[in-house]
Amino acid sequence: MNPLRHSLRVFAAETLKQHRRLFGQPLVVFSMLVWPVLQLATTYYTLRPVATASRAAENWPLAADPDRLLAFLATGTLAYAFFFSLVQSAWHLSFERTTGTLELLFLSPAGRLTLMIANGAGALLQNAWLLTCFTVAALTGFGTLSVSAWWMYGIVLLALLIPAVAWGAFLNSLLVFSRDSAFLYTILDEPLWFVSGVRLPHFALPAAVQVVGAVFPLTGSLLAVRGALLEHRTASELAPTLLGLGALSALLLVAAALILRVGEARARRTGALSLV
Amino acid sequence: MPIAWATAWRTWQMTRRAYPWTYAVGTVLPAALTIALAHLGFHVIGGGAVGDDFAAGSGTTAYLAYIVVGTTAFHFAVRLILWSAKALITEQRQGTLGALLIAPAGRLPYLLGFTGFAVLSSVLEFLTLGLVVAALGITVPVSSVPGALLGALALIAAVFALSVGLGGLMIAAGEAHISQNTVFIMLGLVGGFTFPRDYLPEPVRWFAELLPTTSAMDVLHGSFTGGQSLPELLPRLAVCAALTCAHLFLGLTCLPRAEARAVERTY
Repeated sequence: MNPLRHSLRVFAAETLKQHRRLFGQPLVVFSMLVWPVLQLATTYYTLRPVATASRAAENWPLAADPDRLLAFLATGTLAYAFFFSLVQSAWHLSFERTTGTLELLFLSPAGRLTLMIANGAGALLQNAWLLTCFTVAALTGFGTLSVSAWWMYGIVLLALLIPAVAWGAFLNSLLVFSRDSAFLYTILDEPLWFVSGVRLPHFALPAAVQVVGAVFPLTGSLLAVRGALLEHRTASELAPTLLGLGALSALLLVAAALILRVGEARARRTGALSLV
Repeated sequence: MPIAWATAWRTWQMTRRAYPWTYAVGTVLPAALTIALAHLGFHVIGGGAVGDDFAAGSGTTAYLAYIVVGTTAFHFAVRLILWSAKALITEQRQGTLGALLIAPAGRLPYLLGFTGFAVLSSVLEFLTLGLVVAALGITVPVSSVPGALLGALALIAAVFALSVGLGGLMIAAGEAHISQNTVFIMLGLVGGFTFPRDYLPEPVRWFAELLPTTSAMDVLHGSFTGGQSLPELLPRLAVCAALTCAHLFLGLTCLPRAEARAVERTY
């Protein structure tokens, strides 16, 4: 069998596994639809006093209209849910450590990086479709979208999907080789929305936070998604952001491959599933 | 009382040995980030001012102080629920619920012991939040010290009353993750913690009135940024006390049934 076909079969199998594990679970409905929507409402009401201040319109023209503030926060919630669903999936992957099936994965001839990518992609599709439908319907219903061309929707989807999957592969590889996964879960949940500008425009963050945020692909994804959906940007205007996102995604995949190789080599030598 | 004390002491020993940092980071960090978010929004976007509807709903223009009080109270409430409501399901998961049920110890002092521990340990952790607030240069005015103390007590009692029923629900359903997070997010949205409740639609406001935490938050906001004196706060305190008693009664009535269901489901 040629290598590409082999990888595709591994990919399909792992995605099917995620589908069977996650589809229709009450936890997914709550964590990917009910909680984000309620959280969005809380954030909107908390920031509304600031956005309705008399000088807010000149500082941040986008927020002058409450509907557009809501649309801004909704795109943030959607992109954040994409990335957070991968943090959750990586956390679940660490259960393979405890149940003892991780060793079996490493004994199988399946490509490691393919497995990690498929695991993230499968979880993403299973988790985020409901919220995506909801957000698209809400944004269209509000009439706050300002898109330059119909194919920009395709770019938006790719700008969310590709960095998210790369991020998922990276997190999965990292968590497979770490013992205290709950700690990473805590670190990556709350600070992620803060540094990536999920609830505030990018320019409102201090320079130091912006630098930290640039490491996370969610930051670039949000710039691209909001630029295309809310600010009427064209593809050529967004090109630098999209190129940066592509480079960051490639870098994350390379890092994931490297972690997997180093970790597995070490596991062969010492029998311990850890990086250090 | 010995039962409450023994429970609190056991929990303190266990937490100190097993999970010294996880819980602290998990609650202080979100609170600090929410305050930082409001700080940035207020200065960079609002230009140091807020909209008129905020002052109309909250009775103050001190947006940041309002957020500090609300966020601290919210995460404090979350902390208390995490300890008190999850006490029984933790016993169930660890396999000690049966032993607890046949022990000659009342459930009320047991749960009070958990809450007592949670209050003391959270107060220590939330002092670190004070450092964040000071670093951001936010000053919180206090208009009535006895009002603030009574408000804090009312909040603790209200959260405890909610936790008794919630704990019963958790062991009856055998599930904590979904119910606890749904309760937290609902509370944060309707409870009047970080924004005036006037923003919410009418039916939601009526629903919020059924929760004892809502009136406790009115007292707390009123005694810090609201500029109200103790006599002005008393009506809302009375509402809070009545609702707390009602919730506690309801919770204690349902708890034995929930326990019976939890045990019967296991065998």
